[in-house]
Amino acid sequence: MEKKKYSIKTDFTMLAILLIPIGVAVNFVGGQLASILKLPMYLDTIGTIFAALLCGPWVGAVTGALTNVLTGIANPVNFAFIPVNIIAGLVTGFLARKGMFSIWWKWILSMLIMAAVSIISSAPIVVLVFGGVTGSGTSLITAAAMAAGANIWAAFFGTEGIFTVLDRVISFVICWMVMKVIPARTLVKFPIGSNYLHKKSQTK
Amino acid sequence: MENNYIEKIQIHRKNRIAGLYPSAKGFIVLAYSISTFILGTFHLTDMRLDLLLIPWFFVIPVLCIISGVLAKSMKAMKAVATVSAIIFAAQLFLIPGGKVLWSFGFLKIYVYGLRSAIRLSFLVLDVAGIFVWLFQTTSNKELSRAMEDSGMNYKAAYVFMSSLQMIDILGKNSKSIMNAQRARGVETEGNLIIRAKAFFPSLVPLILGAIIGSEERVLTLEARGFSMQCQKTHLFKLDHSGLEKPAVILSTLITSALLAGRVIWGIMR
Repeated sequence: MEKKKYSIKTDFTMLAILLIPIGVAVNFVGGQLASILKLPMYLDTIGTIFAALLCGPWVGAVTGALTNVLTGIANPVNFAFIPVNIIAGLVTGFLARKGMFSIWWKWILSMLIMAAVSIISSAPIVVLVFGGVTGSGTSLITAAAMAAGANIWAAFFGTEGIFTVLDRVISFVICWMVMKVIPARTLVKFPIGSNYLHKKSQTK
Repeated sequence: MENNYIEKIQIHRKNRIAGLYPSAKGFIVLAYSISTFILGTFHLTDMRLDLLLIPWFFVIPVLCIISGVLAKSMKAMKAVATVSAIIFAAQLFLIPGGKVLWSFGFLKIYVYGLRSAIRLSFLVLDVAGIFVWLFQTTSNKELSRAMEDSGMNYKAAYVFMSSLQMIDILGKNSKSIMNAQRARGVETEGNLIIRAKAFFPSLVPLILGAIIGSEERVLTLEARGFSMQCQKTHLFKLDHSGLEKPAVILSTLITSALLAGRVIWGIMR
């Protein structure tokens, strides 16, 4: 297959534009579901990852930013994390373009890269702006660790770090499951969809 | 019959504050937010607390009463208030630094804790509160129309509005999917592993259904000329309530007065 030329314009096809609201809503619902099931994770980047996997970094970044803008209206704490979600979308999108999701071990590698990037980009915001406590469930655990005497950065990476990795693992697994079930004729319509087609054995 | 349909989809608000043109409301939100940040720089008392944010919050219920949306707004504010309360409590008891103000057993309140508790929780309350007012007095249709009128690319306005709609739609879908899966035997209560496993059968059908549906939506939008680069006509008209000028002038005056007050106060110290 010849190398595809990517540009911002070709990324934002009609289908991609329609995927953004779905991504935002999935982020929202994922977060709600996580709190209904009382899971200690945010699970609010599933839609961003999904949009980035199928349509590239810029669509993923817009999905992430829009999610935080809309959720920030109800809870302004989320405005501060807009850059984190944008970076998550960009990183996943660029990895997807490079075909980093074709084999299972590449999935795991990309997952870890993405988790690390998220932790590193959210750490400064949580620590410097909120003193380690944003009012969410996981940050309360961080707070407990701090109260017990741990240094603020150590407390953060120890608690939020682990939960973020779990969070991303679950998010990526969900995206992988959905990719498996989407019919090929739909996948091909997305800018990067063809990377995920199941290779059937060729008969000559 | 055509005229009746067009009339039916219009929104006419009797309350003149609630019926303000959305850009005037947007201006009020902006002025309030800027004022909130200005008031946040007044560090009062020896402990340098941002006390002015507290009375400033009460402007919001007053605004809601004038707009006639108090009941609905208070319901929406409850969620915001919960978040704010958690932030307040967490910051209060867990941030060390400065004198110890109060201690009981292992619970201690430090000056830094009190300072950042008041600052963060009321900042959240104020900013989220004014947006609650905005969203309670403006429907999605009006917001969408106002965004297009203000010059935004119609595709961007569409994405914004569609996101708000999708959040409602997928939210409802997720509840019915979860109930259906529960009926099929998926366990949603129990230890962490069981609950985490319940996540997948709830979310995967949701995303799948949304994606398949979006294929059809592309066709629908194209059939209605969505991608055509030409002047768009609108069925939905926005009302001006007549009080736009006074509202904008009043907001500007209040914000400027606060700014001037801050500068003077800073000079006097």
